[in-house]
Amino acid sequence: MIVDTILEILSNIFLVIGLFFVFLGMLGLVRLPDVYNRLHTTTKIGTLGAFGVMISILLKVGFSPIGVKAITVGLFLLLTAPIAAHMIGRAAHRHGVGLCDESVVDEYGKVCTIKK
Amino acid sequence: MKRYIPYAVILGLVWCFVHGTINLNNFVLGFIFAPFIMIPFKPLYNFEHDFSVKRGIKKIPPLARYSFVLITEIIKANIVLAKIVLKPKMDIKPGIIAVPIRTKTELGTTVIANTITLTPGTLTIDISDDRSFLYVHTIDASDPDAVARSIRDGLEKYVLEAFE
Repeated sequence: MIVDTILEILSNIFLVIGLFFVFLGMLGLVRLPDVYNRLHTTTKIGTLGAFGVMISILLKVGFSPIGVKAITVGLFLLLTAPIAAHMIGRAAHRHGVGLCDESVVDEYGKVCTIKK
Repeated sequence: MKRYIPYAVILGLVWCFVHGTINLNNFVLGFIFAPFIMIPFKPLYNFEHDFSVKRGIKKIPPLARYSFVLITEIIKANIVLAKIVLKPKMDIKPGIIAVPIRTKTELGTTVIANTITLTPGTLTIDISDDRSFLYVHTIDASDPDAVARSIRDGLEKYVLEAFE
């Protein structure tokens, strides 16, 4: 009985943490200047936010089919989010999307111009 | 055929997790269907690599250390980014820098690239043609050498231990 209550409270805490980080990710998407900086927020914060929600589901339902699926979804997100960010960043740079004005260095740009 | 078995075991376990109930029936079903999944994607699997149980057991402590470092780095990355996003005035100096890497195998390079993306302030964009440099976008590029050094000392060591 007490264990159930503790799990319930922990689950809600993780849900709040996860949703808070998802909110921060969306705020970063609006506030940061260019596509590369925006990818930073959507991958890192998005991963932890989604993972927090998945842990919350696992604590709420236990190791039932839904809980096991939630943890699988979280692990696949951890594996695939960096690859998606990497592909979007590379495609953007190859299509000539410039870095924002605050940028100080672009060592990849030199390589790209030589390749062309 | 013998080389299919380790991959089939892994895919069977993945099928159990995706299905949601872990029992023998599901595992056997996944095990039977695994070769049909593997045949169209044959180039992606490394069939020359020999599996040895002894080597696998030896890899467990470095893998555990790597997982622990990864989890702490992800949490650190989120706190760093949360601070940047919530700051009223945006003062960032982003840039793309070249970071030398020492990994040789394809698995090691993939893991280090993904780890860099999940750690504070860095995001892998591309790899050089000779596979000795990663092009990394970083939010604070005012000191490129410090970023390269932190990757080499902090993360690459654990990746080299666990996956090479």
